[in-house]
Amino acid sequence: MHSHANEGATGHGHGHGHGHGHSHTGHGGSTEGKIRCIFLSEFHATAGCKISCQVPDNYISKEVFDAINVYIIPKQHLQRCILTVNAMDVKIVGYPVGIQDQQKYARNAFLFNLCFVCDSRARSVQYEPVVKKLSEYLIMMEEESCFLSREDDKVRLQNIFQTVLRDLNERKVATIVEGDNTIYLKIVMHKPDPPSVKDHMVPLLLANLRDTPLENWDLTTQQILPYINGINHVARIAAEADVETDLVKSCIQNLVYYGVVQLLPILKYSNVYMTQNLKHLIQSAALSNACRKYVALQPDKLLPSVQRIFQFYASMTHGVTLRAICQRLCPQHHNIDERKMVIFGLQHKFIRCIHKYPVFTGSVPSGRQKMYTGLISFDEICCKTGLSPCTIEKDIEKDTNVTVIWK
Amino acid sequence: MEVNPLAVILVYFDSKGDRLLYRYPYQTLGQTLKLEEPHEEQPNKKRNPFAVASTDDLLQTPTHQHPTQAQGQGQGQLQGFADDVLSALFAVKPQLCNQKFELKLNDVRFVSHPTLISVVPAVTSNSASNQTTTSGSNAASSSVAVTVAKKQQMLINIVFALHAQASYSIVKCYHELSKRLGLALKFEEQRSGYLTEQTAYMARTHDEQQQQPLERTFELIAERCSLAKALKSICNDLCTTGLLSTTLNSNLTLTFCLPAKAHQLHKKGSMVDPETIDRCLRALKPYHGMLLLVDFAELLDCVPPTGARMLWQLVDAYNPLISLQSMASNADLSIEHVYKLVSHLVYWAKATIIYPLCETNVYVIAPDAPLHTKSHLVEKFSTRFAGMSLFEVISDFSLPTSIGHLTTPLQQPARQGILAQMVLWMLQHHLLMQLHTYVQFMPSDDDEFGDSASCNQTHMPGSCDNLTEEERDDDPLHGGSILSMSSQPLPMPVNANRRPMVEDHDSLASDNIAVQPSSSHKSNFSMTASLSTDNCDSLDSMEDEQKLKELLQVFNDADRAAIRRIPASLNVDDLSLLVKLYQMGYFKSEHHLEEIMYFENLRRSQLLQLLDKFRDVLIIYETEDPAIASMYNNK
Repeated sequence: MHSHANEGATGHGHGHGHGHGHSHTGHGGSTEGKIRCIFLSEFHATAGCKISCQVPDNYISKEVFDAINVYIIPKQHLQRCILTVNAMDVKIVGYPVGIQDQQKYARNAFLFNLCFVCDSRARSVQYEPVVKKLSEYLIMMEEESCFLSREDDKVRLQNIFQTVLRDLNERKVATIVEGDNTIYLKIVMHKPDPPSVKDHMVPLLLANLRDTPLENWDLTTQQILPYINGINHVARIAAEADVETDLVKSCIQNLVYYGVVQLLPILKYSNVYMTQNLKHLIQSAALSNACRKYVALQPDKLLPSVQRIFQFYASMTHGVTLRAICQRLCPQHHNIDERKMVIFGLQHKFIRCIHKYPVFTGSVPSGRQKMYTGLISFDEICCKTGLSPCTIEKDIEKDTNVTVIWK
Repeated sequence: MEVNPLAVILVYFDSKGDRLLYRYPYQTLGQTLKLEEPHEEQPNKKRNPFAVASTDDLLQTPTHQHPTQAQGQGQGQLQGFADDVLSALFAVKPQLCNQKFELKLNDVRFVSHPTLISVVPAVTSNSASNQTTTSGSNAASSSVAVTVAKKQQMLINIVFALHAQASYSIVKCYHELSKRLGLALKFEEQRSGYLTEQTAYMARTHDEQQQQPLERTFELIAERCSLAKALKSICNDLCTTGLLSTTLNSNLTLTFCLPAKAHQLHKKGSMVDPETIDRCLRALKPYHGMLLLVDFAELLDCVPPTGARMLWQLVDAYNPLISLQSMASNADLSIEHVYKLVSHLVYWAKATIIYPLCETNVYVIAPDAPLHTKSHLVEKFSTRFAGMSLFEVISDFSLPTSIGHLTTPLQQPARQGILAQMVLWMLQHHLLMQLHTYVQFMPSDDDEFGDSASCNQTHMPGSCDNLTEEERDDDPLHGGSILSMSSQPLPMPVNANRRPMVEDHDSLASDNIAVQPSSSHKSNFSMTASLSTDNCDSLDSMEDEQKLKELLQVFNDADRAAIRRIPASLNVDDLSLLVKLYQMGYFKSEHHLEEIMYFENLRRSQLLQLLDKFRDVLIIYETEDPAIASMYNNK
């Protein structure tokens, strides 16, 4: 029907204006899509339902509009509802409105609907508040000055639509001055809540956010930011920055939400890592170059080779500690900083940490055994009890009722 | 959970107008939202403390995060919509028929496939067949202008109301279901006028019961009309298992699976969408195996009776220890048929893809295995295997371990069989995953650091489990000694341990080994054949020299230099095998050893020896098979 109808697939990835590298993958095959068209439809006193203004012109053809116009100008029950119709290869998000006024309007009411059009496969929820807000502006302008119902005025509306379409697609924000009114629109993407932050987790600052002036952050963030280095864990950051732990946690959760920070497991030389999707490292030259730069011990010297790095990652498997790998491969001889190597691997998901979970298999747990449920990892237990890993390890070894599971 | 339907609605539209004939559940939609999930576990979690609470946000937050909020909201907003409003909405124009129709109203998403059906006039069968042909076209208007005047058309729209957060793939599944129902009804209408009869019945009940409350009317309809009964059971099945098998008009059986729901039965909280399954199934190879997740008895409900014969044929040959290829030949089916059947079973969450169970398979605990003291699996396991503790057994797999390693020839043969059963059980519950060995061709190009022996250690497959213990102790002191250890022709000692057992008895696992080209009895014969490298005969003919040169042409200069440094590169057989595998693209981390063995008809020992000889230019590592892992690791 429309030649452009399937471009939705290419629209993926446009939603990352903030550039934090947080990929918001399309949900089960749907994609983040651009706004393809904005139109205003109204119920004309004599001509009935029609599109009175459309940008770009004729995107919604007459046949399509005729088929779906009942959903664009619906019955009174459905007015002021966000109504999305997805048929005939277009997805139209609208907010049908009726303004009652016996003096002004030929049929005692003026019915219109401002609609955004997307590809039929695209996600469109993020546009709903925008459609509603822009409609409210239009209602206001209509009530004040018959902005919409005056026949001659569509050129100005056309200009508004053009600006909105362009700016929202490019920058996700649009500000339009129209007469006395200024219209502010913004597309806000919502992600699910990040999981709660725990004491033993290590926040890692992503991208070049260090360059952002410190004053731009909120007060708590300003205070803890210097201690976020990919090595310190949350409890330690709280102690060193002298900020209450819960405050640090919610602050870091907030940073995770905005994709500024990623949480990693605490780095210990006794940790065990496992590779996954390691082939991506060699298959993408950009990634392997980024890795070489990142893991270099002395960036001014010759960068470590991909082969060395790959070999280092490849030797990570169950049962092999980081310490053993370092002793065997001597990463520092090859200008490789093993800590950065681990961080890079975790960050890009080439490796994952194999955690250790003590499980109590006896009948009645007492004392510390109550923590050995299989849900709390070794790191977390250490952090909660404040005991050294060594103590816990001995404790578990002595106890015949405790089994340890690595996963 | 946003997978479940909120309601199913049947709307009928003909020349006399539109009507909502049936709806299930009977409460108005607002109430349904509340009743639908009584066991709401998740407390109303507070959002990110810095976020402004806005109702608009809720629709955007994908899925399970805020079901309570979303539901609470939906309650107030949809209650206003009476049945006649809904019926007017879903009595779509003819242009919209026979294609996907999706409408979202606030936080409810309606999905359907409006179907246009020509009514069978009671007069002659001749005209009926005439209409059958035309009704297929979208707007059945133009071509047969003569008959149009007489022709009666009706529109049937089976609409599923879903949570607005339902993902694209879930919506797609419901659309598919609506489409199939429409088609089935069309068929039954043309066969026996079923739809005309049922709709008339429903309409009459509505007319008779006008003074009764609407709920009562719908109940009565469900009692009287088989179509309504079917829709009711469909809705209930979708909410409970996601699998349905309904017979319409006691004639046509419709089977359908909602994967997002069905796969949760085996693994809670997993959201498997059809796209992921397809990706997994596209990677299906003849060497893969199948593991059934349910009893044989439960298999039949996923196929229409007509397809059952072939399924039984496959099930008769079913054995998790053999490959699909062997299963196909045992069942006398073509491999394509087996693929189709297996894909179907996997889609229906009745089976999962594994690598056929054998002694050499290396397993490890799956990263997301729900292993904790409160897990119901603990009890299930000890009921299934009397007196065994799940934690005791599975803790053996904290390190990558194979069945071969866990058994010794001194134990009774039965022990191995039980262990195999336990591994299968753990695989069925997704507690274990298999690790495969991958190879990457990567000659070292940095000699400037001086390749001391201690810093040049390739990790060996197969032997790694033996090594790990020693490594821990030995490493700090004499790193060099490990090199000498691992450079021995490697799988021999391990195999030597196992072989007697394999020959001794016909346990489950050994069946497989006979089929697999992997570590077979013949391995020691092959050794002598290809081990000729060591006796470097000085009479290297010119021919060999020439051949070696030719073989090396496939590499670029740097790689060639690196290969030439390896002594084994002087052996024509070894080098030609390496070059062959290299050219086939097996050394790009894309193929695991078992795949190389299968496609190149190599024995495990042969391959491992080659990899060992050329270990300086190859990097060998273990990881999971991404094709199989993708199904259940959607974190």
